[in-house]
Amino acid sequence: MTQPVLELIGLSKSFAATQALKDMSLTILPGEVHAIVGENGAGKSTLIKIMTGVHQPDTGTIRVEGQSVTLRSTQGAQEAGIAAIYQEPMVFPDLNVAENIFISNRAKGRIMRWSEIYAEAESLIAPLGVKLDVRRAASGLTLAEQQTVEIARALSLKVKVLIMDEPTASLSAHEVARLLDIARALKAQGVAVIYISHRLDEIFRIADRVTVIRDGQHISTKPVAEVTEDGLVKDMVGRALESFAVKTAANPHGETLLSVKDLSRAGVFQNITFDLHKGEVLCLAGLVGARRTDVALSLFGIAPATDGSITLAGQQVRIATPQQAMDLGIAYVSEDRRKLGLAMPLPIFANISLASLKKLLNPFGLIDRAAESAMAETYRKRLAIRSPDSLIEVGKLSGGNQQKVMLAKWLETKPRVLIFDEPTRGIDVGAKAEVHAIIRQLASEGVAILVISSDLPEVLALADRVLVMREGRQVGILPIEEATQERVIALAAGQATSERPAA
Amino acid sequence: MTILTRASPQTLRLLALGLALLATILFFATQIEGYLSPRMFNRISTSAAVVLPVAVGQAIVIMTRNIDLSTGSILGVVAYMAGQLLNTMPDLHPVLAVLFCMALGAGLGLLNGLLIAWGRVPSIIVTLGTLALFRSFLVEWSDAKTITTASLPQWLVDLPSANAFSLGGLDIRVTVVLALAAVLVTGLALTFWRPARRFYAVGSNPDAAVMAGINAPRVVFTAFILSGAFAGLSGFLFLAKFGNITVVAGLGYELKSIAAVVVGGVSIMGGSGSMIGVLMGALLVDTIDNSLTRWAVVSEFWRDALLGGLIMAAVTVDTLASRQLARLRKGGAG
Repeated sequence: MTQPVLELIGLSKSFAATQALKDMSLTILPGEVHAIVGENGAGKSTLIKIMTGVHQPDTGTIRVEGQSVTLRSTQGAQEAGIAAIYQEPMVFPDLNVAENIFISNRAKGRIMRWSEIYAEAESLIAPLGVKLDVRRAASGLTLAEQQTVEIARALSLKVKVLIMDEPTASLSAHEVARLLDIARALKAQGVAVIYISHRLDEIFRIADRVTVIRDGQHISTKPVAEVTEDGLVKDMVGRALESFAVKTAANPHGETLLSVKDLSRAGVFQNITFDLHKGEVLCLAGLVGARRTDVALSLFGIAPATDGSITLAGQQVRIATPQQAMDLGIAYVSEDRRKLGLAMPLPIFANISLASLKKLLNPFGLIDRAAESAMAETYRKRLAIRSPDSLIEVGKLSGGNQQKVMLAKWLETKPRVLIFDEPTRGIDVGAKAEVHAIIRQLASEGVAILVISSDLPEVLALADRVLVMREGRQVGILPIEEATQERVIALAAGQATSERPAA
Repeated sequence: MTILTRASPQTLRLLALGLALLATILFFATQIEGYLSPRMFNRISTSAAVVLPVAVGQAIVIMTRNIDLSTGSILGVVAYMAGQLLNTMPDLHPVLAVLFCMALGAGLGLLNGLLIAWGRVPSIIVTLGTLALFRSFLVEWSDAKTITTASLPQWLVDLPSANAFSLGGLDIRVTVVLALAAVLVTGLALTFWRPARRFYAVGSNPDAAVMAGINAPRVVFTAFILSGAFAGLSGFLFLAKFGNITVVAGLGYELKSIAAVVVGGVSIMGGSGSMIGVLMGALLVDTIDNSLTRWAVVSEFWRDALLGGLIMAAVTVDTLASRQLARLRKGGAG
């Protein structure tokens, strides 16, 4: 039997009253892609943090190539040959791309030989199939580009174990395929890849073995050939879950609520035209860089459109600020929870009430705390936000629960039009099913819903119609009966032979 | 337009700074008689030489997304204690005297660094505390006695008027060379010495720095020690320039150094900035400061207000300009 590259033996870790990991054991072989799956709060994050030296286990042993090691810091973990790529890319906006790649590379010596650094950075980036100027500052890079930088950084460290934590959460089909290619290339070089993703289809495409963890405990490790999707989900949630991507019958559409005609923003997107009906879910599909988020931002007044018209409930409107959008009953649930969505250090209740504080004022013009916490409690129960009460800091919740808090905040504004940007990015199957159910429920209550998603199965499960964009242009609107994975991808990637005219 | 979109923001910032400096000099040349003279050059260059090292240290601290308000007090303590030392040991080698000043400053900076990096107290609070603490210590220690030129060794008294070399009729003083050396060495290190690049990394994204295996507390700690050491060097230059040291020595230098750094284009949010910018910032601040004292139109009491206004103007212009520039580029790209 081959010598395992990494062994975790009987790891336990507690934070105050919560036991995050209980007697966790795991063996990673060189050159394998080892998937780890589990629901939010199953202990994946803690496990990653222990492997990368951020946290130290309370008990248990870590062995790298048979040698017992103590990983005191990320630096120590990197020296032992373990590095990670995270869900939220970690780049230095003020430093250039090349320096971002070599920032923690100790083998490079103490003197910065800039021309050498640029050349090496280019040789690391080129095989990844991405065009990226290594001399530009990292600020303003897209998430996919930032991730490329992170992968190149890990590659430069010549790691033995590379942990990919939700690497595809922000990528579209095209980039996912490329990332999986990179993972295969690493595997061929004998690097062990620990692959953490909520997207089970990717796991079946890439993994050799898959480990399920639940409630901080190891449940199973099996070769991927011996497991089925249903079996995995059952292991993850501890019970059989009724089909988590239900295709609901298309809602009977009400009257047109939002009508967008020839909407453009100079240099960003052009001529977007669609009608959104009451009770309808319209999904915007496309590759990363198709400018779908920019369309949403213009409807929400963050980056207003420069041309075209928006008609809401028969009235032509101009939306130049988020406040105007909110007054019109438009809400935008952002993709970037950290930056645009939530006040991480504030408790749940304060985040939920943030967009509707006016309603909570008592006769003295002060916030009615009792009403505020009652409001938060209602949403905590209705959306099943998993926390003992609504006093917990939002930053301490898992991604899925953060998403629900953000949603609660916007629901309280009683929106007529609700825009979701990547609503299930980086959250697990269980929470995903819940979010989908909430979205369908809202639609059936008559809210007009616009969903931006790079997750095609999600688009097909949710949408009544699919609007496909490519490079800032609308390339077609498909009714759900005609939308198949292949057709959407073909349109988004520009391979379609006969394009439907924009409806 | 092309130059606006193609040159880096940093280059544009330096260009703007250079123009501002030129405009300031031209303006005062029309206002003050005999302004463009070697004497005025000396006055400004030697005065800027005292600020420059503090500003260099301050720049490093600000790059790490912190601030050091105690530099003026450190400068005062060092200037005073160095004066005392040279009074009791007049034969001390000048190099050792400089080293003593920097070591003493570093020691005081170490206290800041410990509390900020490992005590996790925000730097603005810690250094606000030590600003008062170090000054009170100086008052207590000095017993309200003044160091006078008479008590200093002759080499030190002669130092401010000592010439390193002359350049086209302008005298470059030794103190100026010393300050410029501090700028040059730091500038080279910040560009080419890997460990020094961590100051930028920590300030640019503290979370990512930790993830990248950078010991962020140690980097911040080092920044404050360096800030102390550079304030110590300024303390030495202050002692040499003025000779008479009272308990108020160096008062307001923290404001002056922050002004030079911010005007010089170091982002107050951390992560970016260059030594050439700091040099130009210090020159601009000192040119304005020194020129105003000779300009009858503005009363002396308004000088500090102008300094404060300059800081605000620099940050405002910078924010507006970079926003406009980003818009311009985006438009150009699409």
